[in-house]
Amino acid sequence: MSRPRVRPPTMITGPTDAGEPALRTPSTDARAVRIGVAPATRLEGDPAFTIAPPPEAGPGTSAAAAATAADGDPLLDGIPARARLHRFDGVRARLEEEGPAGSHRTAVLFGPVRVDRRRGTEVREVVVEGWRIEVELEPERRAVLRERARRGAGAASMGGPVEVRAIIPGRVVAVSVAPGDDVEAGQQILVVEAMKMQNELRSPREGSVERVGVAVGDTIDVGDLLVVIR
Amino acid sequence: MTPPFGRVLVANRGEIALRVIRACHELGMEAVAVYSDADASAAHVRAADRAVRLGPPPAAESYLLIDEVVAAALSAGAEAVHPGYGFLSEREAFARAVEEAGLVWVGPPPAVIAALGDKLAARRIAREADVPHVPGTLEPATVDGPDQVAAVLAAGREVGFPLLVKAAAGGGGRGMRRVVSADELVLALLAGSREAASAFGDGSVYLEREILPARHIEVQLLGDAAGSVVAIGERDCSMQRRHQKLIEEAPAPGLGETERRRLHAMAVRMGSAAGLRNAATCEFLYDRDGAFWFLEVNTRLQVEHPVTELVAGLDIVVEQFHLAAGRPLSARALAAAEQAARPASHAIELRISAEDPARLFAPAPGLVTRWQMPSGPGIRVDTAVEAGDRIPSEYDPLIAKLIAHAEDRPAAIARLRRAVAEAEVGGIQTTLPFHRAMLDEPGFVDASELATTWVDAHWDGPRARAAAVRAAALAAGLAALAGDRQDGQGAAPSDAGTTGQPGGDGSAPEWRMGGRALSMDRWPG
Repeated sequence: MSRPRVRPPTMITGPTDAGEPALRTPSTDARAVRIGVAPATRLEGDPAFTIAPPPEAGPGTSAAAAATAADGDPLLDGIPARARLHRFDGVRARLEEEGPAGSHRTAVLFGPVRVDRRRGTEVREVVVEGWRIEVELEPERRAVLRERARRGAGAASMGGPVEVRAIIPGRVVAVSVAPGDDVEAGQQILVVEAMKMQNELRSPREGSVERVGVAVGDTIDVGDLLVVIR
Repeated sequence: MTPPFGRVLVANRGEIALRVIRACHELGMEAVAVYSDADASAAHVRAADRAVRLGPPPAAESYLLIDEVVAAALSAGAEAVHPGYGFLSEREAFARAVEEAGLVWVGPPPAVIAALGDKLAARRIAREADVPHVPGTLEPATVDGPDQVAAVLAAGREVGFPLLVKAAAGGGGRGMRRVVSADELVLALLAGSREAASAFGDGSVYLEREILPARHIEVQLLGDAAGSVVAIGERDCSMQRRHQKLIEEAPAPGLGETERRRLHAMAVRMGSAAGLRNAATCEFLYDRDGAFWFLEVNTRLQVEHPVTELVAGLDIVVEQFHLAAGRPLSARALAAAEQAARPASHAIELRISAEDPARLFAPAPGLVTRWQMPSGPGIRVDTAVEAGDRIPSEYDPLIAKLIAHAEDRPAAIARLRRAVAEAEVGGIQTTLPFHRAMLDEPGFVDASELATTWVDAHWDGPRARAAAVRAAALAAGLAALAGDRQDGQGAAPSDAGTTGQPGGDGSAPEWRMGGRALSMDRWPG
């Protein structure tokens, strides 16, 4: 128990900008909010949602949307969601949803809100049934602009540098690459020991190592830059 | 009854140190804690009557320093040392150093720790005690010369494939290799031996048949100085992942009284043959044909000892102290042994660890911002964590043991279901969602699929998490649309690049505890 255990190879990368949600039809409502999972807790394939208040009846409102306005249901990805949030205090809340199978209640814990200045989003911890998920919120309109910009940049420089950052704190026990090395996707980059287990970190993609930000023996914290792969 | 000792040093940290200190105080003994710099204000330090600093946070520079721990015991005037589990608890050298310093070791004698710590020696003791051990070799398998290679290949064929290469000094899966065919055997032996040598300083490895599917069932033993050894019950610890237990329960579901007596008798034979004193656990694999195969003996208190305490109706740590003081097995221990084959209740323990069940149980240390553990009838929580604690990355990820006790297994499961729903943990990811899911898993609920391989074969963390991601996004979105601001008056994040959060620079998260409660029955405005 007191000796380090070796964990089998585990892909622990990120936060990178991989896993951005697919292009979606943007909501036209100026009040709409885009919600995704923030890099610190994101898993590949995590969806993002757009939530908008019930549409206000008026010129330009579609008949379907106007019909939902009567119910006062918010729109989740454009579809009226029969969902209510009861907040007990600043932390605890209950999400109530009406579905085909009846009503469903979920306990929710809200953590603190902070601003991710690099990404320009509001990030907050939400705990649902024991899962700790950091969600990030931004206005839908800005999310759409950002996505367009990213797509443009991506087309101009395919394979731009990827920053691999620590998602667990610990101590670096091995560094397997040096600047200038070519790496393949899945190749071991370094090994981090945390909680008596050795966690192998592998390259998220093929490329060449531009920079190594840590050395053997370094203590690292979540978010620290480990390597840059170009 | 007079206390067994006046003052005891507890050579551990976390929940187990606190648990031992509690037993000390209930027995009227003073407790001395030891700590690293990461634990200077930890719960076990605050609970103890005095505390001695060992060194910096890494275990190798603090809790694993034999000389420093013994010196701490001497300087603090302790008469006995309780090692807990992990760290130095199964190191013969530590037990010996404690005794040579004139202190009492609360655990099996050093010679027994040494004999049973060598897995090969333990297998030979089992053979002599007529306890069936997992089929395999009884001497180290070496491949230094051509003759030896031929002998090893013959031994491998006799054991049968797939088989496991295991380290004689092993533990935690180090030095272990799974071998599916004779072609791979020699390389696996070399690799396993190399890993064992670097991990334990002893490269001895041996061959063992892989028994699949199997349940992990272990027997709690107590022994006194006169040589009496009793079994006070068994535990099923089949729900594990890569040899780390996740759920443990007592008694083992589905065993009949006759089978239980046979199992307990085998464990007692093993303990007696090894000269066991104090407390230890004898581990077996239980195969689909109803056969028990001896695996190993752990010569210390187990993490999962509380489930046995609840069903057997005694305090194992208290018993350990009485036994260490040279007293005979207590009336309570003898009564528990008498009843052990006819258990009258059921207890289940969930090991809550700072690990992410959606990322292959990767460690998830960090700052605990919220910590609310369940309570109420039949619930016991052994933990040393509270809100505001930082879970250090230097130590084991176990942060709490949530234990339910009830009249039978279905009632214990129902109790755990309501208890896990009461738990509130913020700031770090824990294994709680895994446990929630297991309590609704049909193969666990009816105990039909208990197997050491279940978690690896069936647990799909990302899939289990998907519904929570949607609910979290929906809840956060609804809160934002409702104007989730500190003053309760704001709006969704603005179009401006920054959202005007005071103090929200990302480095020092601000809390928003003061927001007024608001109901979202209708959208505002």
